Amino acid sequence: MSSAPQPETVTLTIDGRAVEVPKGTGLVETAAFAGVEIPVFCYEPRLGPPVGACRMCLVEVEGIPKLQAGCTLTAQDGMVVRTAQTSAKAAEGQNATLEFILVNHPLDCPVCDKGGECPLQDLTFRWGPGASRMTFPKRTLEKPIPLSPAIALDRERCILCYRCTRFSENVSGDGQLVARNRGALSLITTFEDEPYSGPFTGNVTELCPVGALLPTQYRFEARPWEIQNVPTVCGLCPVGCNISVTTREGKAKRVLSRNHPEIDQGWLCDKGRFAFGHVAAEDRIREPLERVRRRGFAPLSWDAALERAEALIRGAEGRIVTALSGSETVEQAYALGKLLRAGAGAHSAVLPEATSTALDAFRAPLSTIGAAELVVVLGDEAVTDRAPIVDLWITQARRNGATVERVAGGKPPRSLTERLRASERAVLVWSGRGGGGGDRLAELAHALGFEGKPGCGAFHLPATPNARGVADAWAAAAEGTEQDPEPVSLLIVSGDEAAADPAVRAMAERAEHVLAITMYHGLAVGWSDLVLPGTSYLERDGSYVNLEGRVQRLRRATIPPVPDELAWLSQLAGRFGVEVSPHAAVVFAELSERLYEGLAYGEVGERAPLPLRTPYAAPVPATTQPVPPPPAPPGEHFLGNLRLQRYRPLFSGPAVERTPELQFQRPPAEVELAAEDADRRQIGSGDAVSVRSNGTAVELRARISRALAPGTARIAEEHAGELHLEVEVVKA
Amino acid sequence: MPELRIVLAGAEERDLTKLAAYREAGGFEALATARQQEPQQLLDALLASGLRGRGGAGFPTGRKASFIPKPDQTPKPIYLVVNADESEPGTFKDREIMYSVPHRLLEGCLITAHAIQSQNVFIYIRGEYLHEFEVLRAALDEVRGAGLLGGVTVVLHRGAGAYICGEETALLESLEGERGQPRSKPPFPAISGLYASPSLINNVETIATVPQIVAMGAEEYAKIGVENSAGTRVFSLSGNVVNGGNYELPQGTTLRELIYDVGGGIPGGRELKAIIPGGSSVPVLTADQVDTPLDFDSMAEVGSMLGSGAVIVIDDRCCMVQLGLRVAQFYMHESCGKCTPCREGTRWMVQILHGIEDGTAGQGDLDLLLDVCDRILGKCLCPLGDAAAMPVASYVDRFREEFQAHLDHGCPMRGESSLDGIFAPVDQHSHDPVADAITT
Repeated sequence: MSSAPQPETVTLTIDGRAVEVPKGTGLVETAAFAGVEIPVFCYEPRLGPPVGACRMCLVEVEGIPKLQAGCTLTAQDGMVVRTAQTSAKAAEGQNATLEFILVNHPLDCPVCDKGGECPLQDLTFRWGPGASRMTFPKRTLEKPIPLSPAIALDRERCILCYRCTRFSENVSGDGQLVARNRGALSLITTFEDEPYSGPFTGNVTELCPVGALLPTQYRFEARPWEIQNVPTVCGLCPVGCNISVTTREGKAKRVLSRNHPEIDQGWLCDKGRFAFGHVAAEDRIREPLERVRRRGFAPLSWDAALERAEALIRGAEGRIVTALSGSETVEQAYALGKLLRAGAGAHSAVLPEATSTALDAFRAPLSTIGAAELVVVLGDEAVTDRAPIVDLWITQARRNGATVERVAGGKPPRSLTERLRASERAVLVWSGRGGGGGDRLAELAHALGFEGKPGCGAFHLPATPNARGVADAWAAAAEGTEQDPEPVSLLIVSGDEAAADPAVRAMAERAEHVLAITMYHGLAVGWSDLVLPGTSYLERDGSYVNLEGRVQRLRRATIPPVPDELAWLSQLAGRFGVEVSPHAAVVFAELSERLYEGLAYGEVGERAPLPLRTPYAAPVPATTQPVPPPPAPPGEHFLGNLRLQRYRPLFSGPAVERTPELQFQRPPAEVELAAEDADRRQIGSGDAVSVRSNGTAVELRARISRALAPGTARIAEEHAGELHLEVEVVKA
Repeated sequence: MPELRIVLAGAEERDLTKLAAYREAGGFEALATARQQEPQQLLDALLASGLRGRGGAGFPTGRKASFIPKPDQTPKPIYLVVNADESEPGTFKDREIMYSVPHRLLEGCLITAHAIQSQNVFIYIRGEYLHEFEVLRAALDEVRGAGLLGGVTVVLHRGAGAYICGEETALLESLEGERGQPRSKPPFPAISGLYASPSLINNVETIATVPQIVAMGAEEYAKIGVENSAGTRVFSLSGNVVNGGNYELPQGTTLRELIYDVGGGIPGGRELKAIIPGGSSVPVLTADQVDTPLDFDSMAEVGSMLGSGAVIVIDDRCCMVQLGLRVAQFYMHESCGKCTPCREGTRWMVQILHGIEDGTAGQGDLDLLLDVCDRILGKCLCPLGDAAAMPVASYVDRFREEFQAHLDHGCPMRGESSLDGIFAPVDQHSHDPVADAITT
């Protein structure tokens, strides 16, 4: 690595204090560095260039007669700035701004959910007028109105800082939020009052400096002095956004970002933000269940359940397969592995997906994407569906002038390869199935010489939140090699993702017994012999390894209605003479010796560091993979079959299904077709169609997609039913 | 004081909207001359002429043009943008220039484009100026047909009815297809203007003066007018005056000369009460200031501004509170809503002024009104807030007794007062269903 040149610095004076900062530093940051607060409402550097709209940041700058909006200035050498602390003029200006903001702001603070954690309250307390001189009727409007089922908009409280519209325009790029009308009649709205939809809408509720944009889930739920914010990590995708879970009386009330600048920059997707209610779903399993002849399932005590589990494991005599979900904590997977491998000699596992250690040679923070000049996305799945925040990083790169190329499949064309090799700031993202869990990507990055370039990175987007951690923990849990478990006596299904996997269900059909660890009735209960209740990432202590390879710490935010997995795994392991601690910290200490070079649990901390790159080790080369059948040859009259492309949309899965506020974001029941395939079948967008294969049929609406390759029919997993790989699409 | 027609020269004698007529009158000779010159020579001439912007702020045109980077200093295109979004109440000079001497404006565009080495000219014309737009478009077609553009692209763009788009950065936003709201400066348009490229933005009258400066020579032009205020202005004379209209006069002409000698004085034998010397946004003058010369320095001395050169004459029937209310209503209606003091302050001003006029105000409300004005002044993102606060504060300041009388006994002129010919009423939000949901 070349040593970075010392940045040019400037020295200026703020409220009499000399401060030296790198040239180009914003004045608000400069002042903060000098220990002086310049209060702001509209200023938010993550939203793009400053707009100077709210006028809260007025300061006096020597040599300029008018007060200046501090947020729009950068530090200049020799500048003399006086803020409200030392300038009566600036203080008057800020006081004036607050008076104007409050002129039409309703005095409903006592019933406003923002009350107590509201920047407008705080700044008024410090800089504002103590009394109102406004004696006329305030502007009143219908309130609140739904911006979407998830967000309520109170237009009376809105102070028109334009943070939300700038987020929509500059960050998510959806452009749905706009200001309508002019002057004092300006309103934030969407086009024709359509619901504000998209992967990232909830961020505006956190950006809003007043109680104008509130999550409907949090309205009238808690007062700030009744709540606790638990710092943890989101467990719904492999990004691992840093979150705070707001709880009141042990119940989750909302999820906020905890801004890890290398991972999420303070943004969350709506699934991570709004789907926390899944822990309180009515169909949650709250006690162990056992299959009982004729009566179906009956609850049993934990002691009896562990007794039964022990019997099942012992009876299987090692012919056990464990299907893992990739949503277990590292500790949980380790405990499960230790119990089964060391305790029962059962080494066979179905991992949720392949993972790659070769990629560690190209490890980089996700923020590398935002700073890239060339981003190449490989694979055929939408980045948003797999790792939504990665899509925001790509959007940011594009906004900064980067070229973003999408390559279907795993091989960029030669021209692109040359550009990748030449660049110091190039990033590869693999978003799709296959690829050896990142091995193919590692080979590509190696061929491009990415090892020596800290500005280059290669990111494989796994389908599960902790696949790498689970795989490594299972492998590290015990010594011993896998023996043929067939015929399978006991299938252990660890978690809902594994239960939803068709391959696991197929195995369940031929296994003698099934033990399922699952959160909800309905998924695995019907085909299990013993069901042990599972818990959510919000209810566990432990660690996850995200797609960067960063070990992050989960903290129990809410009390689960059942003992967590580690607690009973510890007891069950004891029955087999295997020692497993019920405490995540202890388990971590043990596995960390084997996996993370003895990294201490405490050192993971609230803002986890990224491990260094490791030397490149060539992965096992790809074995010949089954080649998917070629698309039907295009012919004027021949209507051949289409290849079914199933995908898991961002807004799907058990947590989303249990979140009323996200139902409107779920994928419509439709099949996407390429224009030529649709034309040949005389199908138009919106037409009712029947998608058939081998005797199964699904009725859907057709949508013409320009991005889709011909010969393909793309259907969301939840609408694809039992369809096979080849389907026939006909107009209904 | 006779008129001195420079910008409007020749238009009274004949129809100059036709290219042939304009060329017979010597039109486009200046362009030919200018194109023989180095761009720097033209910039020097603009500076030497003493020409200052005619849009309202009066910034020296030559200096502004000199801020534009040279083509070898920037990889971006350089734009000339003509601000034809004339919307200041009382101002109607640019429209006359556009419909009577459109070719002079286009010639000015091409000369100025040459001076700043720009290949791209945008003329942003007020949406309501349909006739002027059509005249200008026909003229542009002729100029294009005659091969006079010399590789320069001239685009006419119609606005959509927002006063704020006369503010240069809001104009740029609107031109780019964005919501018409001002940008924070810096960066200044000279560095990052239209499409984030160097842009010179000038008023119609300013640009239409340029050919004449080239034709007569900068030194000759600089001799017209008075110190710091060279040349002529097209004054829009309106209000309670016999002969309202546009009159082009040398700067330094007194208000008395304009109102009485040129304008024929005040009709019906009524008394002069007040004068607004530079469009609705400037502080008012009292009748005893009628001998003030119309130039930048003299107006600054008496605490007002030459602004857009719109002189509005107010006679003794006018209630200054009603006048202030109407002015404040206009700016409340036109406030874009981006920055706090203007958005909230103008509305509050209207409420207070309503109270004073209706007789429901308390004794403290005059000071409150002044304080609200003061809290807007100099604290906004763009000059619109100042444009509301300055005149209203001046009405209170200079007609305090009349305002006080309102507080004591109600409006002394109710029923008798007339704003006829001064400011048209602001037809507020009648087009917007949202307004019905809002209680003012």
